[in-house]
Amino acid sequence: MATRCQFENNNDVGVFAKLTNAYCLIALGGAENFYSVFEAELADHIPVVKTSVAGTRLVGRLTVGNRNGLLLPNTTSDQELQHIRNSLPDEVVVQRIDERLSALGNCIATNDYVALIHPDIDKETEEIVADVLGVEVFRQTVAGNVLVGSYSSFSNQGGLVHPKTSIEDLDELSSLLQVPLVAGTVNRGSDVVGAGLVVNDWTAFCGMDTTATELSVIESVFKLRDAQPSAIVNDMRASLIDSMV
Amino acid sequence: MPTYNFKSIQVVPPAKDFIDIVLSKTQRQTPTVVHNGWQITRIRSFYMRKVKHTQTTWHDKLTQILDDFPKVEDIHPFYGDLLNVLYDRDHYKLALGQLNTARNLIDKLAQDYIRLVKYGDSLYRCKELKRAALGRMCTLMKKQDASLKYLEQVRQHMSRLPSIDPAGRSLLLCGYPNVGKSSLMNRLTRADVEVQPYAFTTKALYVGHLDYKYLRWQVLDTPGILDRPLEERNTIEMQSVTALAHLRASVLYLVDVSEQCGYTLAQQAALFHSIKPLFTGKPVIVVANKVDARPLDNLGPEEQALMQGMASEAARASGADPADCLMSMSALSETGIAEVKTAACERLLAHRVEAKVAGKRITDVLNRMHVALPKPRAGAAKPRPPVIPPGVAEARARRDAGEKRRTERDAQEEAGGAGVYSADMRKQYDLKDPAWRYDIMPEIFEGHNIADFVDPDIDAKLAELEREEEELAAAHDAEMAALAEGVEELGSDEEADLAAIRKKKKELVTAHRIRKAAAGNRPVMPAKHGSRGDKTVGRMRESLGALGIDTSAAEARLRSESRGRKRARSAARGGEGGDSEMADADGGAAGGAPAKKRVHSSKSRSMSRGRALSTAPPTPSSGLKDAAQRNKAVKMADRGQRLRNKAARAGEGDRVIQTKMPKHLFSGKRGMGKTDRR
Repeated sequence: MATRCQFENNNDVGVFAKLTNAYCLIALGGAENFYSVFEAELADHIPVVKTSVAGTRLVGRLTVGNRNGLLLPNTTSDQELQHIRNSLPDEVVVQRIDERLSALGNCIATNDYVALIHPDIDKETEEIVADVLGVEVFRQTVAGNVLVGSYSSFSNQGGLVHPKTSIEDLDELSSLLQVPLVAGTVNRGSDVVGAGLVVNDWTAFCGMDTTATELSVIESVFKLRDAQPSAIVNDMRASLIDSMV
Repeated sequence: MPTYNFKSIQVVPPAKDFIDIVLSKTQRQTPTVVHNGWQITRIRSFYMRKVKHTQTTWHDKLTQILDDFPKVEDIHPFYGDLLNVLYDRDHYKLALGQLNTARNLIDKLAQDYIRLVKYGDSLYRCKELKRAALGRMCTLMKKQDASLKYLEQVRQHMSRLPSIDPAGRSLLLCGYPNVGKSSLMNRLTRADVEVQPYAFTTKALYVGHLDYKYLRWQVLDTPGILDRPLEERNTIEMQSVTALAHLRASVLYLVDVSEQCGYTLAQQAALFHSIKPLFTGKPVIVVANKVDARPLDNLGPEEQALMQGMASEAARASGADPADCLMSMSALSETGIAEVKTAACERLLAHRVEAKVAGKRITDVLNRMHVALPKPRAGAAKPRPPVIPPGVAEARARRDAGEKRRTERDAQEEAGGAGVYSADMRKQYDLKDPAWRYDIMPEIFEGHNIADFVDPDIDAKLAELEREEEELAAAHDAEMAALAEGVEELGSDEEADLAAIRKKKKELVTAHRIRKAAAGNRPVMPAKHGSRGDKTVGRMRESLGALGIDTSAAEARLRSESRGRKRARSAARGGEGGDSEMADADGGAAGGAPAKKRVHSSKSRSMSRGRALSTAPPTPSSGLKDAAQRNKAVKMADRGQRLRNKAARAGEGDRVIQTKMPKHLFSGKRGMGKTDRR
């Protein structure tokens, strides 16, 4: 099930939230509205944690994580680290890493089994990602963009990537990630799908501007609410062509 | 893609108002004061500016109108034809063309008159030329009154036209009057169109919207059309024809099988056949309406044949199966409406997709139609199941059933809203013992534990410091007391002196107070400027001598200084004829007279250097014979002023504002000062 929401009138929810199968981090805002959208959907199953990272609200862009662990940039303060550590279950490893490219969420995209990383990231960081998150790691680009975390978003069930990704690239990425992939947009044509969308294996949140077609593509490819990716080529093909061409 | 919204066209004023607007704008925005004494070039440019400004204003306003109104050739042919039907294209173009001509004429006219003003030889002539220029411009525009009024009407009507996207997905409802087009529209959308049991209830195009398959569709309700040649159709019918002719929409041809509308099935079929050229290349569905009154099965064989005939024509026009082109529904009992909607939308969608797939732009988005499915590879042999907590499905079912979870937002609203509510950050800490949640945690700052820098003995040390401070203060007090003790007593003569000084001071204060009271709260002249009589050398000697002070030195100094300075100054100036300053002030009449014969006018005193003017003889009109008389007059004036000056009272020479805002200067004026300036 996909939910539309906004963080203080901003549609890029992926900037202000980090969602995994084991926990969810939310930026500290002026009001509880954004937090409560996530809380209503998730709090029965996983901890939904309000926090800042490095004193900023860009929680989703600065951190990367999955069911097994959470990586924080070296700018994270000790208090934030402790707050996150206390809030997350013990099975989740929380680690602060020294990486020059400190917006980890932009440079790394991951699910519980496999991760794509920015081609220029440190060798050490790559090893930490593999160890802490327990994933296979691939240095890749998405449609020629090195910021794989910004331009892709995937769960264990499916993934959405930059709308200009070619069919060959899609097939290659899909084989690497072992999930079905679709090229698409969120928030009425925004190509930064990582910033416009947060998703885990059973739910997704996207910006308020997302159109009905975009939302149905998201639900299908991430297999939310029993939808199947094949619907995109079968039932929705006509709607997609008519709305895009 | 241009959007068709004609609401932004600006108001077109009628000629009379238009003239007022332009002339008052010229009046407000150009200078208004001109004088006969000006240089002729300045007068000419004053009037040229007026003419030029008026012309520019006309030009701008007319250009605005001409740009605002759409050009019939530039807009979508649907809107082009609609404009033609509603406002008559020729009339419309003529009106705009006339304004264009008027604009050109005004430009030319202004150019001519500016040229003439250049040769104007007087203010009057320039003014008359300007008057003529402005007058001719206004006469020109007055003749355009009819065009302007027509355009204003068109503008008002256009701003109320429905915003139809000619390239969008649309369903078009058409048929004879009263067959149920508007009823179907109300069933399909939330447009709430008027439905009445008489013909031509709908007199214009109406648009409503519906959602189908994640897309937005517009539904167009058209006025009914009658079966007659195109030339005989009226404006209302022509709107429907225009929509049918130009919109690539899914056409729903409604047929009233119950014939309650007043037209037989045969007539309706005849209309269908006469307008069928408009259907080519579009998905057309013949919809039998009002089947609740007369089901399709009840039709006679002839009528069945008519229906089949229409269906087969519709199928031929759109290239579909005749069985798909005939549907039945009832807007009253709401049967068959969903089927009609689905069929119409599906057929139009298929039609549009077919056209788009054939086009070039499809290649840009082909990748988005592709779902890349993973091929198994070596490193990923193990299954990778999704990780979904067990309770998700139940929780969703509970929520769908209407159960609402109490969220932080509810707590926030109860506690006074955002900004007031402060959320508990530790509420959900996942610790071994929940009791630890609110434990005081070490505070870390820049990698250091603040507790490490806290001195446990700080209280004792502070007490020690305070004690030390008190001791020091006590020691200081004792020292001061000891010092005070050492001061010796006054002797008896000293005491007498002190008493005398105090007495004298008291006397002075009392004297001053008495004088002040006597002056009746008016400012008292300070002693410095008061009469000099009581400040003699003798008095000084007497009073100071009584105190036992020898004043001889002071006297000597006073004398030497007063005399010495005078001498020094005159020597420095060369000393011819005494003080040159005085000589200037005395004027020519003083001639070689000694310096002490000075004239005390306030003027001469305040000047550091004599003015050349004052040496000149008085002007004949002043009523004075010569400089001597003038000087005497000045002296007398000074004397008359002296008493007043002494009392420091305001005289006639002082600046005074009698009334802050004289009524006659300020009443009836605008706040901005415009009227005043004019």
